[in-house]
Order: sequence, then structure tokens, then C-alpha cells
Amino acid sequence: MRASLRWLREFVDIPETDPDKLAHVLLMLGLEVESIDRYEARFTGVEVGRVASIRPHPDADKIRLATVERASGSQEVVCGAWNFGEGDLIALAVDGAVLPGGFEIGAREIRGVVSHGMICSERELDLGDDHEGILVLDESFEIGDNFAEVIGLPDVVFDIDVTSNRPDAMSIHGIARELSAYYQVPIRYPDHDLGGVVGTSDVNVTIEAPDGCPRFVAQEMTNVTLARSPFAVRQRLRMLGVRPISNAVDVTNYVMFELGQPLHAFDADRVAGKSITVRRAAAGERLTTLDGVERTLVEGDLLVCDADGPSALGAVMGGAQSEVNEETTSVIIEGAAWHAPTVLHTSKRLGLRSEASARFERGVDPNLPPSAVARAARLLMDWAGAVPVGQPVDVYPIEVTPWTVDLPRGEPERLLGVQFDDATIVDYLERFGLATIGGEPLVVTIPTFRPDLTRTADLVEELARLHGYEKFPETVPVGPGGGLTAGQIAERRLRATMQGVGFNEAQVSSFVGPEEITMFGDPIETAVRITNPLREEEGYLRTSLLPGLLRSVAFNQGYGQSDVALYELGRVFRQELSPEFEDLPDQPRRLAFAAVGNPRSFGLAAPDVPVDGHFAAGVARSLLAGNLTGAIRSSSELINIEGSGLHPSRGAEVVVDGLPIGQVGELHPRIGRRLGIEGRVIIGELDLAPFVSVQADHHFVEPSTQPPVIFDLAFELDRDTPGGCLIAALHGAGVAELESATIFDEFSAGPLAEAGRKSVAARVVLRRRGSTLSDEDTVPLRQRLIEHVEASCDARLRGT
Amino acid sequence: MKRLDAILEAAPGLIDGAADLPALASVEAELLGKSSVVGELRRGMGKLDPEQRPVVGAKLQEAADQLKTQVARRREVLEMAAERELLISDRLDLTLDAWVPTVGTRHLITQVIEEVTDIFLGLGYVVADGPEVENVWYNFDALNTPDWHPSRLESDTLYVEYRERDDVLMRVHTSPVQARYMEANDPPVYIIAPGRTFRTDTWDATHSPSFHQIEGLVVDEHITFSDLKGTLIHFVHEFFGPDTEVQFNPHFFPFTEPSAELHVKLDGTWLEMLGCGVVDPDVLVNVGYDPDKYSGFAFGMGVERLAMPKYGIKDIRRFYENDLRVLRQFP
Repeated sequence: MRASLRWLREFVDIPETDPDKLAHVLLMLGLEVESIDRYEARFTGVEVGRVASIRPHPDADKIRLATVERASGSQEVVCGAWNFGEGDLIALAVDGAVLPGGFEIGAREIRGVVSHGMICSERELDLGDDHEGILVLDESFEIGDNFAEVIGLPDVVFDIDVTSNRPDAMSIHGIARELSAYYQVPIRYPDHDLGGVVGTSDVNVTIEAPDGCPRFVAQEMTNVTLARSPFAVRQRLRMLGVRPISNAVDVTNYVMFELGQPLHAFDADRVAGKSITVRRAAAGERLTTLDGVERTLVEGDLLVCDADGPSALGAVMGGAQSEVNEETTSVIIEGAAWHAPTVLHTSKRLGLRSEASARFERGVDPNLPPSAVARAARLLMDWAGAVPVGQPVDVYPIEVTPWTVDLPRGEPERLLGVQFDDATIVDYLERFGLATIGGEPLVVTIPTFRPDLTRTADLVEELARLHGYEKFPETVPVGPGGGLTAGQIAERRLRATMQGVGFNEAQVSSFVGPEEITMFGDPIETAVRITNPLREEEGYLRTSLLPGLLRSVAFNQGYGQSDVALYELGRVFRQELSPEFEDLPDQPRRLAFAAVGNPRSFGLAAPDVPVDGHFAAGVARSLLAGNLTGAIRSSSELINIEGSGLHPSRGAEVVVDGLPIGQVGELHPRIGRRLGIEGRVIIGELDLAPFVSVQADHHFVEPSTQPPVIFDLAFELDRDTPGGCLIAALHGAGVAELESATIFDEFSAGPLAEAGRKSVAARVVLRRRGSTLSDEDTVPLRQRLIEHVEASCDARLRGT
Repeated sequence: MKRLDAILEAAPGLIDGAADLPALASVEAELLGKSSVVGELRRGMGKLDPEQRPVVGAKLQEAADQLKTQVARRREVLEMAAERELLISDRLDLTLDAWVPTVGTRHLITQVIEEVTDIFLGLGYVVADGPEVENVWYNFDALNTPDWHPSRLESDTLYVEYRERDDVLMRVHTSPVQARYMEANDPPVYIIAPGRTFRTDTWDATHSPSFHQIEGLVVDEHITFSDLKGTLIHFVHEFFGPDTEVQFNPHFFPFTEPSAELHVKLDGTWLEMLGCGVVDPDVLVNVGYDPDKYSGFAFGMGVERLAMPKYGIKDIRRFYENDLRVLRQFP
């Protein structure tokens, strides 16, 4: 909502002179000023004069000599324009004037005649584009007027962000009303007295949809002289961002800004039968709006019809047929109240949001149309010599009257933390035009222009607003506490682990395209589709974090960063029912990672050692070791699998507590190629649940003080037997003294390879609590380990 | 004995004159070996008078100890020099990046969420969470959004296809967590709820279809607008610094009344930072709380909007490209 300061001052005497300070006052009333535009006259020394006489130039055909009457005497001015005559009022730049561009005016000789001053065009004054001729002024101006002053310059326009609950503040008068409350000065109402009304109007209005149009006021005006609006009016409309058209059209915009009531002017002679019917549209009805576009309507849109059919889209846009045009001599001014939600839906659907729809969407006061229509009629009388035809037709099927809201006297303090005495409460409310009746509770009468005030809390806000948010004290309540839950702490630790192993946390959009759903083998039907996606490549919710992460890997490689390690912790979405949130799609949280190149930066010491599947497995093991405890940790393992989207022989499933929680390994090279990523890509995606929902097992085990017995065991086994079998077998051998077992060597070459066998060597650490292991003790333990591995993994101890 | 005195006098010069360990070994043999003066005198002890033996023996022993100490001291010096020479030759140029076990980073969004969360944990709040795919009830109805409100339209809100239903959507704010938490818990409520939110925005410098918010909610007896002000000023001073100017102005949200917007002055410019207000009584009724007994306040802030001015980031897309050159700026 754009509001001119001069216009505001027509209704209220604002003591503040500094626009910036006034903007702050408006902000503190809840009317946020988003910008302040200052309009200055870009000229000085221009005044209104009247052309007393014109004579031809003795030596030139294309210019004339005009004698211009000023407040003090008259002077002769040479002029090249021909669009004016004797008796016209014009804008005269007198000697000493400075025009836009620093152009100084002085007496000068033109072909032997001395010209004093200059008669100006719109363009020369930087007031418009018209340079066809000089500016001929209407009779509202007077000789000697300071031209800048009478056209309303300088002025300041506040662009105000009016919140959706305040239809009343969508007008100059409404904002003036707020300022009158704030500064405690009276508010004036604009002239809407039509004097005596002649004749009777034969306009006939029928409302068939009172829920959609609770009120319709029509005022017929005849004898309309269609012309440009007075210069000052056009100037004002331009400042508010509206292009002036003609007095009959401009008046509707002018009153809309002034009072907040959007109006429409029909050419009365083109409203068939002078019969107006308001009804809801049927699906498929068509109407050509005045922008020349044929619109197809849906059921429920509101239509203003004449005897021949639809002639305007109610509250949204007029129709081409009944539009005011050059031949118009009579108009019907419509001022109506419309069902706000319908206006909103129609205007949004058709992309026809306008100053009018912005007001109707908020809900215009149904008691505003009569005075607004009268104001427009009054102005049309002044601007176009129009004459009202009879009293306005006012159809008002559902009358809205003021209502009351109770205000218990303790509520302001209970909700605001500040005590207001009764006199202050009553004073604040009455300054906003809210009448009060004493007693407990206070009964407050709400005028119909404030539909936002329906409950006690709404009144409390009015008190707070006028009191000033700045004046409230600042207190800090403290809650009972409790801190982070174990799961929330676990989540922070997971991030710390990923950071520790060198991964950078990413944030990737939750939206993906169909090919990113199927990339890792998820059938498209398992994904949740967006009903109204902005783009097809954002048409689904991700079923895996990996496609987005890989996109980010490719993005980095695109900037020449070949070593990348990213991870993300976030939700994925599936069609299944959520076990966590009743009736909603499953949306479990996961942790995924992806890396390529040599992101560990083991530069000189280990150059050219890009990550491979072992690194993916290592990251998974770090996550398990760093975030699980007790038996769950010892039971977790990686099992080689051929996973979807993974390299067929370089992938593993991560198993915790007997349940698979995700997969890690190398990305299938085909997918890497498709995404344009160079090099081996390692990936992993794990459910978060086992990490954040499992109770930590912090059962302390006292370390043994005895020396360890350490020996290596090398086994020969089938090439396809996973090395992990050996570790599992060692741990499963029932040797309580086994402290750790790690594989340190694996090879398959020569005769071994030919036989389809390989060698795997493990380092075993034994330690007993309470006593030292002697050689005699160790021999049977070692033997038991060997036998168990040989039996479990179809292996044979080497070197024996 | 005069010979012994002469040796003791000459010894320091000989010992310190040994340039390396082999030279020191020969000096040591010269001074203390079998053919040395000390060795000769020792061998001649048997020929002395029994009365003289202890006296000479003691003196001899004293001289030998003195020489041994001097040799040992010199040996230590030479050994250190020899080791140093060895180590010097085993040089590493540590200005080179040869072995860098790189530490990763936490995303700036995570860092901001944790920082804000920690501020409120300090005020006795707990962290609450909710689904990102929500239903219309929690996202709109429970929060007092009118049926016809434009934010419900498909032009503003992303809906999802789920089991033939038309009330399942991508939450447009973290506010539904308010309603969920209040339904499941009795007052007092002191929660902070960070998370991802979604709108029908196309990507540009200041918009993205998914972004992050942090919701706060307090409901208790005697909670007032002044509590809201004090709490958020505390927050701003913790997050942006103790001298940051703040300003509350009236605003409108369906789920709070009175409502306010908080502006923060950063680098001389007032920036709109968050929306807040006293919890609307209808919201309390919707979750089964007694609005005459309990009152509260709520606030919601954009994580990216907090981070951008604080860190000087001008384009929201920088948060979602995951460019390592960006991520590594915030360890």
C-alpha cells in the first residue's frame, strides 16, 4: 500500500515533519514502511499564468508570441507550441527559473523579439512524457500559484506492508485513522456531499449470490465529459504507481486509494437493460476481461451480468464490453462488498492480482460502499461536470452491524506483563474508535471496518500496539531443563565421527527427479510424489540421500576439486506408513557418505592412493566403533554382498545386532559415468536408528595387567571365502583369553592363485586376567583357534 | 707421585681435546689403561710399606675417579654431537603437506542450529522434532490458519500424493512441532524445534524450495509478552553479540496474538529476523490446553536468514551446493 504524506495530511494533522521518524511511528503501529520515496519538483520558479492574448511572430511562421498574465503584471513569451489558446492557464517558467537538467530561464531575444520566460510542457518539467504541446491546466489552478506546490510537490510516498488481517489500513484514510489514534488528533472525512439529486435512476440491481456479494451499490452519473483528470490528480496517481487514463476511470482508483473501497465504472449505455445481476459462474462460462483476454471461468467465480450476460468478473476485473471508452457520456459507479476467499481464489487462479483484489482479499467493510460511491460521484461532478441520476441503488441483503468483544480487566496484564489502569485501557481503545461500556468485563463495540477484532486477545494486541512494543519490560523465564536426549547426543557424536574421519557435512535438497529414485534400485512406486512440483526434476521426495550427495560430488569435480568427501544426515521418504508419525509416509533418518579421489590428503607420503571400497568399509567400521558400545558393537559386522547401485564385487552390507542397517562399498562405475564423476567413488548409507535409539552399554572392564602373548597365524583358504570369516572364527572359538585378532596380510599368487586359493594372515593377541600365560598355557589355546578357523572357513594353517 | 700430579694436570686438556668417540677411547686408555701412569702405580702398590699402602691407595683411587668422571662427561658431549649429526642428516621439510589426516567439517546450517539450540538449552528448553511430510491439521488447522488462507493454496505449499489423500504436504514451517508437542505433553512447555521446511519457491539468491527453521515455544502459567521480549533479546545478544540493537514491531500471524516481528540492526542496517508472538488462545484450545490458565509465546526463525548476515553470505544457494571451498571455511 503506497501512501502519500500530503494526502494523509488532508485527513489528519500530523505533528511529525521528519518522514523517517514518521515511518518509525507507522512501523510501531504495525504498518511497516518498506521504502520511502521522495518526490521533489525538479524545477524552481514555475508559476501558473493565463494566456491573455496571442499574436504571430513578425519574422517567423512556426512560433507565436503569447502575452501571459501573472499575479503581478504580464509579459510576452515566445512559444513554439500550438495546442493552446487565449484564456488558457499554463505553467510559466519565469525569468530566473531553473528547469530539470539545470536549464536556466532568462530573457532572450528570438528573431528580434525579446521573450521573457518559457511556457512549459510536461516533459520539460519532468512530470510526464507529453511533449506534443505545452501543459494546458484545468481551471482548478489560479494565476500566481506556485506550480510545484499546487501539483503536490514535494511529497513523500511510504510503501507500507499492510498485514493480511488489516483491510482497514489499505487506504490513505485508514492509515490516517491510525495516526490520529497515535497522535491523539482528530480525523477528517473527505467531501462526499452530492447536493440535490435530480431525476430517478432506472438502474436495476439483483444479487443472486448474497454469500458472494453481500452488498452492491450503484450510482448512475450522466453528462460525463470524458477528459484527462486534473493535473494534480494524475500526478498523485502516478506517484502511487497507477497510470492515469481518464477522469471516469481515474476516479475509481483515486477513491480506492483514498478510502480503501475498490470501485468499477461501467459505461451506462453499454450495460444492457441497465440491469445488473450478481451471481456465481457456472463451470466453463467465458468472459472477455478489459485486458482483451477471454477467460474461462470455474464454478463459483463471481460475475456481474447485464441483460445480455456476464459483463465483469466481480471484484477482479471489468469486462471489455461495458468498458468506459471515448464515447462514454454516462457511467454507473459500482461499489460492492465481495466474499474475500472467492476473490482470492479467482484472482490467484487467473493471475489477476491487482490493487483491487488485494483489498477485497482482506475483506472490505460492507458499510463502506455508500460513502465511497458518493465520494467518487462528488469527484466526478468536480472533474467531469457529471450529474448524478437519482439516489444510488443500494442492495444489501446481509447487513453487517458492529459487534461486541469482552475484555476482562485482568487480561492485558496476564498476557502482556504490564498493568494498565482502567482509564488507560478505555483511552487506548477509544482512540482506535472502539466504544467501551464499563463493568467487568469491559464490553467493547467493534466497528465493522475492523473484522480482525473478534476476541479478547485481539483487543489486548490493540492495547500493546498503542502502548508501544518498545515500552514493555524484558523478562526471561527459564524452563525445567532436561538437556539433550541420548539420541540427540548420539546424533552430535555421529557428526563428530564423520568430521574426524575427514568428511564434510553437506545439505542437499529433499527433492529429486525420477531417475534419481531408481538409481539405487528403488522402484518408482515406493517414492512419494509431489502433487505440484515446480520442476519435474524436483518431482519426488528422495528415497536415498546418495543421489543428491553424488550430485554435489560432481559439482565439486566440476570446479576442479578431484578429492571430495561428503556426508549428509537427513530424512528419506517412502510410501510405506511411518511407524513414527501416525498416518504419514515413512520418513526415516539416515546417514550417507560419498568420497572420490584422495580426500584424506596423504599428499607426499601417499600420493595417488585414491579411495576404494576398503575405505568405505573403514568409514563404516569407524562409525560402528565410535558410536556403538558393548555387545551391540561386538556383534556388528560387514558382509560382502552384491548391492544395488554398488560395484558387484565391492560392496558390503552393514549388520548391527543381526539386522542389516545399510550398505557400503564402491559405486557401480556405470552410475559414476552417468553422473560424470571421475574415479572410483565410494559410498555408504546407513539407518540412523541403531545409533540414536540403542541404549549405550557402558559396562566398565578393568584392563588386565598381565603381559600379552602375541603370535601370527597364516591360513590358506578358498579365494572366494571372505577374510572376515577368519576373524569371526577366531572370535567364535571360545577362547576367553583372545583380546584381539586383526588381518594384516592377504595375497593370492603363483600356485595358490592357480589352485583358486589365497593366503590370509592374522595377528592374534591373547591375555589372561589374574595370571601370566605360560608357553604351556598358550599351546592348547592356539591349537583351539586354528582348529576352529580350519573348520569354520574351510581353511588350512600354512607353513606347517 | 709427582707423575700422578702431572697426569691430573694434563688430563683435562687431553680429554677435551678428543674430537670424537674413538679419540676419546684412546685418551681414556692412555690415562686409565694398564700401561698408564695410574695402571703402573696400581701395580707398584704391592711393593709399598704396609703403612703407606692405604694412603697411596686412596690417593690413587681419587685420581682415577676424577679422570673417569672427566672422560664420562666428555663422552656424553661427544655422543650427543654424534646423534645430532645423524638426526640432522635425516631431515624432513615440515613446510610440506605430506601427511595430513584431514578433519572434516560440520555444515554451517548444522552449526547455526546447534548454536541456537545450545543458547536455549541454557534457558532450560528441550529439543523437539517432527515430520517433514506433515498433514494439513498440524501445518495449518491446529495453528489457526483460516480455511481460505492463501498459504494453503498449491501456489504456496507443496502437497504430496499419498494414499488418495489431499491433506498431506511438505511442512511450510516448523510450527507444526508446537502442536504435536503440546498434544503429547502437559505444560510447562519450553521447547526449541529446528528442522527442514519447504515452500513453492524456485531457486534464486534469496529463495530455495527447502530451507531450515527453528521454532521456539513456551507455555506455562503467567507467561507474557514481556517474557517473549526478554527471551529473544537474550537470544540475539548471545547469537549476534551483546551490543546488538533489536526492535519489536506489531505484525500478524494466525497462530499468535499479539504478534510481533523482530528486527536486528547489523552493520548499520535493520534486518527482519524473525516472527513471534503470544500464543493465540485458539491454538491452545486446539491442543486441549486451557487458555484461561496457561499462556505462552512462540517464535520461528530462518536458519539461513540468521546465518547470511552473520557470515556475510549473499546467496542462499551457497548452502546447498556443498562446494568444498565453502564448507571448509566453517570447520
